[in-house]
Amino acid sequence: MSLDLSGPSASMPASAAASGVAARRRNLLPALVLLGPVVMFLLAVFVLPVGLMVRYSFLQQLPDGTLAGGFTLANYVRLGAVDLYRNVVVTTLRISLFTTLGAMLLAYPLAMVIARGPAVIGRAITVLVIAPLLVNVVVRAYGWRIILGNGNSGVLNWALSSLGLGPVEILYTEWAVIIGSIQVFLPMMVLPLAAAIGRIDPAVEDAARTLGGSSLAVFRRVTLPLSLPGLGAGCTLVFSLTASSFILPALLGGSFTKMLGTLVEEQVLTVFDWPFGAAIATAMVLIVMAINLLYMALIERRFRSRATEAA
Amino acid sequence: MSENGLGRAAPLIYTLTGLIVLFLLLPLIFPIVLSISDTPFVTFPPRGFTLQWYGKVLQDPDFTSSFGFSVLLSTTAACGAVLLGTPTAIGLVRLSFPGKGLVQALVLSPLIFPSLVTGIALLQLFSSIGSNDAFLNLWIGHVLVTTPYVVRTVSASLVVVDPGLEEAARTLGAGRFTAFWRITRPQIMPGLVAGALFAFVTSFDNYAVSMWLFDASHVPLPMMMLSLISRMFDPGIAAIASLMIFFSLLMVLVLERLAGLRRAMSF
Repeated sequence: MSLDLSGPSASMPASAAASGVAARRRNLLPALVLLGPVVMFLLAVFVLPVGLMVRYSFLQQLPDGTLAGGFTLANYVRLGAVDLYRNVVVTTLRISLFTTLGAMLLAYPLAMVIARGPAVIGRAITVLVIAPLLVNVVVRAYGWRIILGNGNSGVLNWALSSLGLGPVEILYTEWAVIIGSIQVFLPMMVLPLAAAIGRIDPAVEDAARTLGGSSLAVFRRVTLPLSLPGLGAGCTLVFSLTASSFILPALLGGSFTKMLGTLVEEQVLTVFDWPFGAAIATAMVLIVMAINLLYMALIERRFRSRATEAA
Repeated sequence: MSENGLGRAAPLIYTLTGLIVLFLLLPLIFPIVLSISDTPFVTFPPRGFTLQWYGKVLQDPDFTSSFGFSVLLSTTAACGAVLLGTPTAIGLVRLSFPGKGLVQALVLSPLIFPSLVTGIALLQLFSSIGSNDAFLNLWIGHVLVTTPYVVRTVSASLVVVDPGLEEAARTLGAGRFTAFWRITRPQIMPGLVAGALFAFVTSFDNYAVSMWLFDASHVPLPMMMLSLISRMFDPGIAAIASLMIFFSLLMVLVLERLAGLRRAMSF
């Protein structure tokens, strides 16, 4: 390969070469060769189409199917003002919030065992947490349909009736979507949380215990606050993934529980109203971006300021 | 040091952990339980024992052609992701140049960006430029969403390789490419294999991009399964789900063996 940089400096150790403007400039050609293809690829099939989509969301589709040029906010107004569509936005936010809260509660015991338990058990739990993640979401949603099935066919109702309890109707409600979403996205909460707890010096927790703190007090005053960065990262991931999911509301929510994912599919693939679909998709991106910015503002700044105080 | 670092609450934490792991495994267990039911429709509890549904499914041309198509798509997409992602990781880890932060953010952004939206944007792009080749469209979409995983795993294994070794080879007269191929490549192989497998699995499970780009003669497995759920009511569907679960568990074992699951996930 003709990447070779002739001259005596070419054999300089990378650590020395990395500093200095001259070295940075000398890196430009190899950087272009190594990173040019990926940048071109991403500009062509990621940045460009997303930009076009956002532009589309400001067009309006006329009743005859043609697009009106210019610039209109009509699609966004429709999403926010028409009850039918506003309810979808509110439902999406509510389901995402409940899923995040549920995942948060369930994630702590798992993360504690992964980070603090004996190595063998920690590793086994890690595998058990990640394994379901590799099973297709369609398959897992199908599993939940079997379990939550209404009437007498569902596993849950069979179990309840053998306990003498009445049947419950969960499938095709928000609760079914929330239960399924917690199961599907819980690993995304557990893994960053376990990483954050693993970074806490166990001596700090031991010291708190030695000083007479109960298990609950040690958790509440030491482990919980120090694990907040991981918890924040997990919440951001779970909320974003739930808010932009399609399979779970489609298979577990039925036609009564619509989320942004099912609405955008209907608008693009059934109604063929692309500008409105583009606006829904853009709204979905804005929700995800807002959650990420909130995380950075709340968690990262707080920890940075604390680190500066300590220094 | 208190025993095993969990303090006095250890029994409670272990009990909760057991229950939560059971909750995670529930939707994997019941399709398998129902797939052996000797009844003409899916019902719980299963009655009798039969493997006929597996036989029926494995002979169903819809299922087998869809499985074959998914394997082809995911294998080629993983190859594309490795070819595109490996040089990217090397450039981002080893070089320092103006605008590096921007390139890094761009390369990893498909991970955070909702794939559903990536799919819609690609559908609009492909239909506006008249690209009707469903395989090519799906392949581009899958390479796009899997490349960041390769970049992450290869970067993670590159940072622990001492660049001095490659420099030494260069000093001894090896060209840049030879030095990389003979010295660095063998050391980053675990990361590369993990990245390729992870790209394969991610592509194999993808629905968020596929649902916009597939057509009647190019149906990835998740889309096939999705359409079967609404029109197939015998335990054959549970058998398909079970086969997909077994396939995923096989991938879990391979990934854990070759790379360590947690590292492949980059947490």
